[in-house]
Amino acid sequence: MPEPRSPFPNGPGVFVPLLGAPHLPLPVDPVRVSAGFPSPAADYEDQRLDINDYLVRNPVSTFFFAVEGDSMEGAEIFAGDILVVDKSIRPRHGHIVVAFVDGERLVKRLYNRAGRTALVAENPGYPALEIREGMELVVWGVVTGKFKRLTT
Amino acid sequence: MPVFALVDANNFYASCEKLFNPKLKDRPVVVLSNNDGCVVARSAEAKALGIAMGVPWFKIQDEARRHRIVAFSSNYALYADMSNRVVDILSSFSPNIEVYSIDESFLELSGLNQQDHAAYGTEIRQRVADWLGLAVCVGIGPTKTLAKLANHCAKKALAGQDGVCDLNSLAPETLTNLLSRIEVGVVWGIGRKLAPRLNGMGIHTVRQLRDADAETLRARFSVVLERTVRELRGISCLDMETVVPDRQQIMFSRSFGQLITNRQGLEEAVASYIARAAEKLRRQESLAGAVQVFVRTNVFKPEVPQYQRSMTVPLPEATADTRVLTIWALRILRRIYRPGYAYHKAGVMLLELVPAAHQQFSLLAPDAVTTGRNPTLMTTLDAINGRYGRGTLRLAAEGIAKPWQMRRERMSPRYTTAWEQIPNVRAG
Repeated sequence: MPEPRSPFPNGPGVFVPLLGAPHLPLPVDPVRVSAGFPSPAADYEDQRLDINDYLVRNPVSTFFFAVEGDSMEGAEIFAGDILVVDKSIRPRHGHIVVAFVDGERLVKRLYNRAGRTALVAENPGYPALEIREGMELVVWGVVTGKFKRLTT
Repeated sequence: MPVFALVDANNFYASCEKLFNPKLKDRPVVVLSNNDGCVVARSAEAKALGIAMGVPWFKIQDEARRHRIVAFSSNYALYADMSNRVVDILSSFSPNIEVYSIDESFLELSGLNQQDHAAYGTEIRQRVADWLGLAVCVGIGPTKTLAKLANHCAKKALAGQDGVCDLNSLAPETLTNLLSRIEVGVVWGIGRKLAPRLNGMGIHTVRQLRDADAETLRARFSVVLERTVRELRGISCLDMETVVPDRQQIMFSRSFGQLITNRQGLEEAVASYIARAAEKLRRQESLAGAVQVFVRTNVFKPEVPQYQRSMTVPLPEATADTRVLTIWALRILRRIYRPGYAYHKAGVMLLELVPAAHQQFSLLAPDAVTTGRNPTLMTTLDAINGRYGRGTLRLAAEGIAKPWQMRRERMSPRYTTAWEQIPNVRAG
């Protein structure tokens, strides 16, 4: 972008706002200044907690899925929970994953040991799903968290 | 010397559809244009079946049934979100990026201390695949035109390997050989119109265009074509356009799902379009100084009575208030509306945009004008619609039933932009 020409070529530091210049908020100290003593908290100020920082490590590769069914209750994943799924993590043995198997989206624990691959439930009522020759398994992403809103 | 990379997502719309829907694996998928009219994107399987780009959906019903082709309405919310994610990733590979379209971006790679650009391209491709599950091809060259050509070579596996092609790495005779095997119409900016005229001059291949006399082409065609020739020779003439200027006009127009024959229907459509346009206006923190409205019948059906009319009015005071803009747009509509026609399309345009920070108030402002001076209501409106979905809160002028709305009967869920539409996953 060309430098805007100052109408005061040799003048002192005159600031001329550029038409359509981007809006840049000044970092104003949010603690109100009083004429008396300065706030004792001013030097200790932190950013307020944001749940995104807690649950989402990599926003670009993070997607959300809604849980149906009870086969993962042993891993504290319940029907109605929303899963945080990070696609950038390389899935490993023991990860809870979202997987596409035979046209279905599933959430299971990935078992991958001694040449055997399976999707394991976390509920005694459900058998493990062995991935055999000819079966199509796509491990879509790794589940890194979950959340839910409660009715009030 | 500059080094440009063009990163282009393969079958982007169709790939986005496949990404979230496991039932689409290995199935031919097509995405349809507005009103579910024509094929605008095809998966690899659909391309292999010979489904042409742009073919009207109703014309390929037999093939669709025979090959179990799955068709989707354009899910722009999904494609835009996935596109933004791709751009986020690309931005970490170069500070100098030009988002050329929803599925293509140019990256400048020189000065990055990167010796092996093809390896860097492979890394980009791998990152997008790992993080988003989308396939991209990377074309690299000393000019934007050559980078785009390299991308074509990568996609068609004419050169390079595994979806990455660096023309800089080819020996001169290898490059010449490659260019003599590619049709001239493939070159950026040539296309279907110019190609036959060049063919008429004996220019059939990219190599022939590169080696043609630039001055002659400039005289016969344009300075643009001359520039293309120079770019093919490796002389960079097109710079990165990294700064996206705020739009000077905001347009919103649509063909109707069904023809409208009364004024009320048109009024609802125009009010809705104003709402959308005003939302864009506020997002870029501008005010509009003039409003244009147009209506027209179906120009593709010359056998029915034809009418089209547009009118622009300057506003007494620039505004971004939906209520004020709606009042003026409906006044214009009443002036240009003629009964007895079947209307096919309407649109609105906001013009003479100025930054909101420069608002000038009129001294002699009637009520219809001063209403728009308080931005609080509009800020609230945008916040509510941003949170609960577009159109949650709207002016009654937009109507309730909206029978004129676009046909988008085959729309997939907005998997990544609406909480109530996120994909479910079965634990069972």
